[in-house]
Amino acid sequence: MFRLRIGFIVIAMVLSFFGARLIQLQAIDPKSYAAMAKRDGVITADLPADRGAIVDRSGVELAASVDGMMVIGDPELARDDAPQIARILAERLDLDYFSTLERLRKSGTRYQYLARRVPATKAEAVLKELDELDYKGITLERDPMRNYPSDDIAANLIGFLGEDEPLAGMERTFDTQLAGTDGKATYEVGAGYRIPLGESTTVKPKNGETLQLTIDRDVQFYTQRALAAAVTKARADSGTAVVLDTKTGQTLALADVPTFNANKPPLETKRNAKNLGARSLSEPYEPGSVEKALTFAALIDAGKITPRTRIVVPSEIKRAGAAPIGDHWDHDKIKLTAAGVLAKSSNIGTVIAARRLPSETLYDYLTSFGLGQRTNIGVRGESAGVVPDGATWSEGTHDTIAFGQGLSVNAMQMAAAVNTLANGGVYVDPSLVMGTATTDSGQKVGTSQAGTHRVVSEDAARQTAEMMELVTAEGEAGSAAAVPNYRVAGKTGTAQRVGKDCRCYDGTFTVSFGGFAPADDPRFTVYVVLQNPRNGMGGGGNAGPVFKQVMTYLLGKYGVKPTGTTPSTLPIEW
Amino acid sequence: MNTPLPQSRVRVQRIAEAAVERARLTVVPRVRARTPRVPFVIMVSALLVAGVVGLLMFNTTMQQNSFTSTDLEKQAGQLAAEREGLQMELDALNAPQRIAQRATELGMVQGPAPAFIDLRQGKVTGGAATPADGADSFSIEPPAVQKPKELSPEPTIEYVDPPARERRNRDTARSSADEQSATGRNETETNRRGDRSNR
Repeated sequence: MFRLRIGFIVIAMVLSFFGARLIQLQAIDPKSYAAMAKRDGVITADLPADRGAIVDRSGVELAASVDGMMVIGDPELARDDAPQIARILAERLDLDYFSTLERLRKSGTRYQYLARRVPATKAEAVLKELDELDYKGITLERDPMRNYPSDDIAANLIGFLGEDEPLAGMERTFDTQLAGTDGKATYEVGAGYRIPLGESTTVKPKNGETLQLTIDRDVQFYTQRALAAAVTKARADSGTAVVLDTKTGQTLALADVPTFNANKPPLETKRNAKNLGARSLSEPYEPGSVEKALTFAALIDAGKITPRTRIVVPSEIKRAGAAPIGDHWDHDKIKLTAAGVLAKSSNIGTVIAARRLPSETLYDYLTSFGLGQRTNIGVRGESAGVVPDGATWSEGTHDTIAFGQGLSVNAMQMAAAVNTLANGGVYVDPSLVMGTATTDSGQKVGTSQAGTHRVVSEDAARQTAEMMELVTAEGEAGSAAAVPNYRVAGKTGTAQRVGKDCRCYDGTFTVSFGGFAPADDPRFTVYVVLQNPRNGMGGGGNAGPVFKQVMTYLLGKYGVKPTGTTPSTLPIEW
Repeated sequence: MNTPLPQSRVRVQRIAEAAVERARLTVVPRVRARTPRVPFVIMVSALLVAGVVGLLMFNTTMQQNSFTSTDLEKQAGQLAAEREGLQMELDALNAPQRIAQRATELGMVQGPAPAFIDLRQGKVTGGAATPADGADSFSIEPPAVQKPKELSPEPTIEYVDPPARERRNRDTARSSADEQSATGRNETETNRRGDRSNR
């Protein structure tokens, strides 16, 4: 009996100890223990969404996301073997040996970035190699990277990603579409493995969507290289080339020089800021004589002239209070047809012809050709250019605008305007994105948003094309742009440039060539501009060859046969 | 309780007393067949054991599956990374720049305007086919990157004579050091000098 009682007392004491402990655990600060348990076993992993690729018109990747790794060093562990580790890393991952060595020997830290955005396979291979040699202190962490397989091809359009966010180009403009939404997974693990039936929640990531461009990578490559060679040869500041599919207005190539390698983007400085974007849209300039083609199309459409209209061209036109208008070659009074005026690119003849058209009418034609308005093809920082309101034109303004000075355009606008003549007088909105995409400013762009409107009659467009064909004839200014066997219509342009500081023409030039082929059934429109060439040659000599090279390539690549019709036989003189 | 009527009883007695006597119902003594307990206990324990073992095995299998799935996921990740790596290599090989460079190395030039062969008539159409003479060729090299001077400084090269004492074992140590053998690893000095001579 007595023993039983002792036993009960002992049991009661033990139980009250348990009770006290229970109260301690559950009543006083129960959360910290739960958190501790959680920290031990529950893992929350980010499930990063795959960034959508940017592809060209046939699906070739221009920008793609790749599983990348960052290589991290722990100097505490790696210090002793630092030279050997640094050597292997430098050789395999193309790092700088000395800075890697320095980082591996840094004191007072256990976390040093050695390399970022290394392709996963490469990083794993190096880690394995280091493991086999028994070197310690190197770890890898996930670090998604962006790969641009063709380096500088279309880099100005596509842009690039910075460490954490898109910094330029379409990567930035269409980030919402490309980025997708990250997901999250929470689950319990034991010894590195997921515990089945354990607590687990998963929010699936929503991958980014692919962005398809109308660009043809091969055409873009060829155009870029041809343009770069011409810019180097002419010692020009910069150059731009636009290739449009005539019927659809789709941009097959949009090249800008200088450009950069998207895989190694340069730091943005004031000096190269323009090189990172698309000059073809952001840098307006005075188009010069290429614009004459638009003036003549307007004149023919309005019934003011025909290609055979006879014009007496004096040696110069005197202007009150301004320098007289002259031609690019010296001549006495000559007799040219309207076609001859365009073929010889006579400013005087153009002014005389254009005076038959009221300022408002010419202004309406030019805006209808798309000048002075953004093309909105989805490229950042587009400048609308300036076409002064027709109601405010003085006689002098009217005269200079007629031959392409006193108004400014961007290269894409001008290409689309020339394309209108190629497309039978119907303006097609140029496009760069297949289908529809929404820019970061909420604007819908793309081929499905492209509209059309008639600017000049089909007849006027055809007659202008025939006049433009004379430009590439043997002995004329644009003969360097002629493609053998094909009928090519084009127009050269050599325009004075407005200086940066003086707000006057500073003696430098913008040279250009715009045209299309085959002239009687156009398939492609190519427009080439070079800024400030220093070799003394004009649009025909500098931009013409680029036009020829690109057009020859296009006609061959797309298998366009020569039409085999008789070339234009319009008279030049009378 | 059913009480047989007196007259019927009389009648029955009269007809076949002996038969009735034989047919009379009596209370059957209760036979208590004692079912053996052992099979039941065995069955229940077997169920229990089977359940526990089954559950255990189920758990183990799931654990095993979890291991397998984690390993397979890891493998899938590695293979995906490998595929991406190979894709990148393929892209690099496919790049127009490389193809253009290879073509130039082989002596190819940019072609003139194309000519077309009409297979039905067996004739060349679209103008004369002219052989490529490279008249329209241009450099396919990407323009060199212009860096400000601060970003591309002149390399500083310093020649340092190795200490005379160590020079003797340098040649013998270098070959092993280059192969990163276990002994070469400790010979930091020699190894590094070997590096410098390579660079």
